[in-house]
Amino acid sequence: MGSDESYNFVFKVVLIGESGVGKSNLLSRFTKNEFNHDSRTTIGVEFSTRTVQLDNYAIKAQIWDTAGLERYRAITSAYYRGAVGALLVYDISKHLTYESVDRWLKELFDHADPHIVVMLVGNKRDLDTLRTVPTEEAKDFAEKRGLMFMETSALDSTNVENAFNEVLKAIHKKVASREVTRGSICAVTLSNPTSDAQEGRRNCCKSS
Amino acid sequence: MAKIENGRQSVDTRSIRTISSSHLDDESSLGSDSEINGFTSDRQTDKYGFIGGAQQHTEESAQDLPPEVLRQREVKWLDMLSHWDKWMIKRFNKVRLRCQKGIPPSLRGRAWLFLSGGKVKKEQNQGKFQELDSQPGDPKWIDVIEKDLHRQFPFHEMFVSRGGHGQQDLFRVLKAYTLYRPEEGYCQAQAPIAAVLLMHMPAEDAFWGLVQICEKYLPGYYSPGLEAIQLDGEILYALLRRVSPLAYRHLEKHKIDPILYMTEWFMCAFSRTLPWASVLRVWDMFLCDGVKIILRVGLVLLKCMLGTREKLKACQGQYETMELLRAIEPRYMQEGFLVREILEVPVTARDVERENHTQLKRWKKNRGELNFKSPPRMHGARIIMLAEPPRRQDLQQNPTIVLEVPQPTPQLKKGKEERKSKKKKSIKKSQSIVEIPNPYSLPSDPPPPPHSDPPAPPAVSSETPQTETDPPHQQQAPPTHLPPAKESPLQRSTQSLSSTDQDTYL
Repeated sequence: MGSDESYNFVFKVVLIGESGVGKSNLLSRFTKNEFNHDSRTTIGVEFSTRTVQLDNYAIKAQIWDTAGLERYRAITSAYYRGAVGALLVYDISKHLTYESVDRWLKELFDHADPHIVVMLVGNKRDLDTLRTVPTEEAKDFAEKRGLMFMETSALDSTNVENAFNEVLKAIHKKVASREVTRGSICAVTLSNPTSDAQEGRRNCCKSS
Repeated sequence: MAKIENGRQSVDTRSIRTISSSHLDDESSLGSDSEINGFTSDRQTDKYGFIGGAQQHTEESAQDLPPEVLRQREVKWLDMLSHWDKWMIKRFNKVRLRCQKGIPPSLRGRAWLFLSGGKVKKEQNQGKFQELDSQPGDPKWIDVIEKDLHRQFPFHEMFVSRGGHGQQDLFRVLKAYTLYRPEEGYCQAQAPIAAVLLMHMPAEDAFWGLVQICEKYLPGYYSPGLEAIQLDGEILYALLRRVSPLAYRHLEKHKIDPILYMTEWFMCAFSRTLPWASVLRVWDMFLCDGVKIILRVGLVLLKCMLGTREKLKACQGQYETMELLRAIEPRYMQEGFLVREILEVPVTARDVERENHTQLKRWKKNRGELNFKSPPRMHGARIIMLAEPPRRQDLQQNPTIVLEVPQPTPQLKKGKEERKSKKKKSIKKSQSIVEIPNPYSLPSDPPPPPHSDPPAPPAVSSETPQTETDPPHQQQAPPTHLPPAKESPLQRSTQSLSSTDQDTYL
């Protein structure tokens, strides 16, 4: 818990998507640089953090992971509370997991902050030979829906850093530009950033 | 969770299973599944079957009993199991006490099946599991189940190999459930529950154990909507107020929804949280006394981790609190400590029902009617038995070791005369003990004179018919040419029944 690192912001990011697409491994790859073929089924909530440097700021990313199975959506409202970013993950080798993206988007907009930054993530890019979801198709879909897009591989690390960093950057941009109305995005500042970014600061708003 | 090697290596942490799993031969009799996957002897399997991972047995938490005590307990349990209905109806307090002390490992699987009512269910539904087992199953559920098979206790030797016996049986049990209760289907937390059962009993038994847990002990936990688990979260939280006001206020202040910390605890009955010895003790009590045990464990952990001002000082926010609850200090989960604490928690089944009533009212007020009405919960083995009374033949056991037990000897327990168990092969009490060759004869025994083949077992409910995958739990046909069992009564056996020496899958 108590690390000495100071950070300017805490951004809560949630991982969502069908069971088995690789959410837990994306989490472990990004926060611990680990991958496991047999990581346990997520039941309940898992989470981990990592602090990254973006421009002059230290951003603490608080990544939350939960079960993908349909019926677990009944317990997710607590999970979405205070989330400013979401990675909506599907498996490029399983078309069904891509087909349910619309349902997940609906879920997001029913429960999460309207300003939440969303990236569509096609995971398991290492299984390119078994691909069933063409990159272009997914990219177009994301564009139409106003989502960011990236293909990743938690197994060989491809684009994992990029995906999270892009999302964090986009969140930071929203916060800094005050595009967001007060109170709808929760970010905690614990130390003074460099003098220019004063307005980015917001009062501590512990997730409710 | 991934095995932690070294914080920040840039190299992939190799999966604990090697790439050679593709060459796996299902029917291979090459030692244990872990050997097939190229494990060398530097990976020790602990006495519960764990190769690695957080639940691996460590010496510090050991509460190993001397063999004599185990023997005595086994005798007591064998006696209880032979007269199960009588003990359950008339001497349940004693049954409960013995569950609290811990069921001897050699009889745990059997005791669990009896306690849960799974044994009765199995006997009253002969052929049912086979019928479900033979059906293909709904593809939608099959797909999800298959994804989960290698994700349950991957550090346990029984489940480590893809396509191995353990995973196969897990598949069979979970698939059968989706066919048995198609309106329920499959919920991911059922897999660890089934896996724990499978570590102690064959697939058919594990199936009925799962049925009982899902329908009697924790109804609605795995149903669509997960309403029951949310309700129990509220019950836990409400009970916490009395047990640890400090912890309660802290969770209230930081608006930490119970669902954020108790979901995995409760849905998996702590099988993914506690060190293994503690899991087994908790399950011994849970199957005896129902959900109040699960609630008590939750309360103990919350109290221990959040119950003092000092601890709370370190937890400034929601995230820090959740992190703390996710990393419970080992000393609080240690078998001896935990069991003692559980027994001290002042929460009864009645308290649970009362709080259930309160929370249900609150739910209906705030969220409307429940979508998925579950049957009423049963608070333990006795209540289950009263609700589903067994016929005499339902409680019949089919032992392969038959012993003639001598008269009680005085030295066993001061002042108390031990009741000896007599395992009978037939229903009629007057029948003499049948001599069955002991399949576990001692190596020093001289080769016996040739004797006649053992009589065929009586046509009482037979064991599950042989399936194509011969489950390791199936009794082997007793070899002939062995000395009669008479010479080695239970108490004087020099052969250890500890699971490190013997297959525990009795």
